[in-house]
Amino acid sequence: MNAIEIKGLTKNYGEKQALSGLDMVVPEGAIYGFIGENGSGKSTTEKIICGLVLPTSGDVKLYNTDYTDINIRSKMGVLIEAPGCYPNYSVWNNLMLHATNLNIEDREEEVRRVLKLVRMEGSASNKYKNCSLGMKQRIGIALALMGNPKLLVLDEPINGLDADGMRIMRDILTDLSQKHNCTVLISSHILGELEKIATHYGIIRGGKMIAQMTAEELDKNCPTFVALSTKDIAKTKDILDSKYKKVVFDEAKENLRIYDDVSAEDVVKYLYDKGIIVNEISTSKIGLEEYYINLMNNKEGV
Amino acid sequence: MSKNAEKKSFFSRLNSMLKADFRRMFTTPLYYIMVGVSLVIPILIFVMTTMMDGTISVNPTTGEETVMEGFKNVWQIIGAISGDSSAMMAMDITSMCNINMMFFLVAVFVCIFVSDDFRSGYAKNLFTIKAKKDDYVVSKSIVGFVAGASMIIAFFIGALIGGAISGLSFAMQGINVYNIVMSMLSKVLLVSIFSSIFLLASVIAKQKLWLSIILSLGIGMLMFTMIPIISPLNAGVINVILCLVGGGIFSAGIGVGSYYILKKTSII
Repeated sequence: MNAIEIKGLTKNYGEKQALSGLDMVVPEGAIYGFIGENGSGKSTTEKIICGLVLPTSGDVKLYNTDYTDINIRSKMGVLIEAPGCYPNYSVWNNLMLHATNLNIEDREEEVRRVLKLVRMEGSASNKYKNCSLGMKQRIGIALALMGNPKLLVLDEPINGLDADGMRIMRDILTDLSQKHNCTVLISSHILGELEKIATHYGIIRGGKMIAQMTAEELDKNCPTFVALSTKDIAKTKDILDSKYKKVVFDEAKENLRIYDDVSAEDVVKYLYDKGIIVNEISTSKIGLEEYYINLMNNKEGV
Repeated sequence: MSKNAEKKSFFSRLNSMLKADFRRMFTTPLYYIMVGVSLVIPILIFVMTTMMDGTISVNPTTGEETVMEGFKNVWQIIGAISGDSSAMMAMDITSMCNINMMFFLVAVFVCIFVSDDFRSGYAKNLFTIKAKKDDYVVSKSIVGFVAGASMIIAFFIGALIGGAISGLSFAMQGINVYNIVMSMLSKVLLVSIFSSIFLLASVIAKQKLWLSIILSLGIGMLMFTMIPIISPLNAGVINVILCLVGGGIFSAGIGVGSYYILKKTSII
C-alpha cells in the first residue's frame, strides 16, 4: 500500500504557480527523501499533505483514503519550518498540550518518552524561547514523534542539529521505519545525511516531480568513475578520449573523470605507456549530492 | 506505551481540545492580567470619580462652569435602568466608565489567545492532527466565553470593593438583588455572542493580531450599544432568557462562519 499518493497536484498563489501537476508516490514504511531547490514546491507539497494549505487542484490520498480523513490525520506527526510551540511556555507544557490534543491517555509518560528519545529530559522545565536552535529542532521532532505516528512529515528537520543530534535523528527515523513500519517524508538540503537513511527519493523542480526512485535505483544511476590528475590535463584527456567511452574534466577539482568499466591500475599503466605520469588516482562513485546537482544542471555523468 | 485513543467522535475531540485550551488559558499570564485589570478598573473609577465629585471646572474662553458629577450609587457602574433616557446616550463619566467597557477587554483577550495559535505555529501541529475544525471553533468560543465571564465577574467584585472603599450607596430605588443578579447574568450570557464575533475576526486575521483586534473592535462597536439595552439594571428573567436564546443562536451562527473560514482557507 502507498502511504502517500498524489496525482496532478497544482497550487497557485495568485499569478504564481507553486506546484504544476505534481505526481508523487510514497510507499508505506519508506523513508522518502524529498529534494529540490529553494522555492521548488517542497514545503507547499508538505503543507498540502498536512492539510495546512488548500490545493488548487489535484488528488491527494493517504493510505488510500482522502487526505482530509480524520482517522489518518490523527496518526500523523509533523515538523514544518519550525516547531509550533508557545515561546513563553516550558518545553514540558508545550509537549503536554500536544499530548492533550492527541487524546493520549497517559500524557506524562508519553512526554517523558519522547523527551528521552531526543535526549531533552534535562531541559523539560526550560522556557521554549530560551532554547537554542538545535534544542528547538529536537523539541519539534519530539512533538512529531508523539503518539507513535504512522506518517511523519518533516521539513528540514536536521537544520541546526549538531552531529549528535543528526545521529539521534537518523537512528530514530530508521528505527521507526524498520520496526514500526512508519512512513517518513523528509525534505532536506543536507543531502549527505539524507543519503544515509532514505530508501526512496523524489526530486522536484519548478513544482513538478522530475525524478522518483528507490535507493537501489539511485545507486544504479550513480556510476563509478576513476578520477585522476596529471601535469598536463589537456594532453591526458586527448589520450584517454581515444580509449575510453566517456572522459570528463571536473572543473571544481581540476581532474579528469573516466566513466567506463576500467580499473585505476589499467589507467595508470596505459598512461605510463604513453609517457604520462599520474600524480593522483582514485576510484569513486557519485553520491546523491552530485547526482542531484548534475540533474539540476543537466550535466554529463548522470 | 500510551497511544492515540481511537475515539473520534465530536465530543471526544472537543473534550481533548477543551482540556488543551483550558490548560493554556489557566497557565497564561495574560488571563490573570486581564482578570486583575478587570478587578482594579472599577475600584480606580470609583475612587477617582468620588474624589472629583462636585469639582467645578471653568471654560477659560466662555467662563462657563461645569460641575463634575461622580457616581452616586454602586450599581450605576453595572448599568442603567431601562427607560432612563439620561443613561442611554449620555456621554458623562458614569455612562462611559461602566461594566460594558469589559467587552473591549474581552476582545483583546480573545484576539491574543487565538492569534497566538497561528503566530507560534501551534495551529500547524493542531490542524495536521485535527482535520475537522469544528471542535477548535467550539472550544475557543467556550474558552473565550469563560474568560470573558471571569472578567465581567471580576469587574462586579471590583465594583463592590470600590463602592465600599468610596462609601457609595448600595441601595437604589426600584432595584433589588434579583434585578442585579439578572442583569449580571444577562451580561455574562452576552459575552458568548461577543466571544464568537472576536473568534471570527481572529480566524479571518489568523497570525495578524493587529487586524483581528481592529476587526473585533470594529464589528463589536456596532453591537456594543445593544448591551445596556438588553441587560439593564432592572433586568428580569425575560432578559436572561433573551440573552440565553440570542447568545446561543448568534454564537452558533457566527461559529459556523468561523468554521467555514478555517475549512475553506489555508491555515498558514
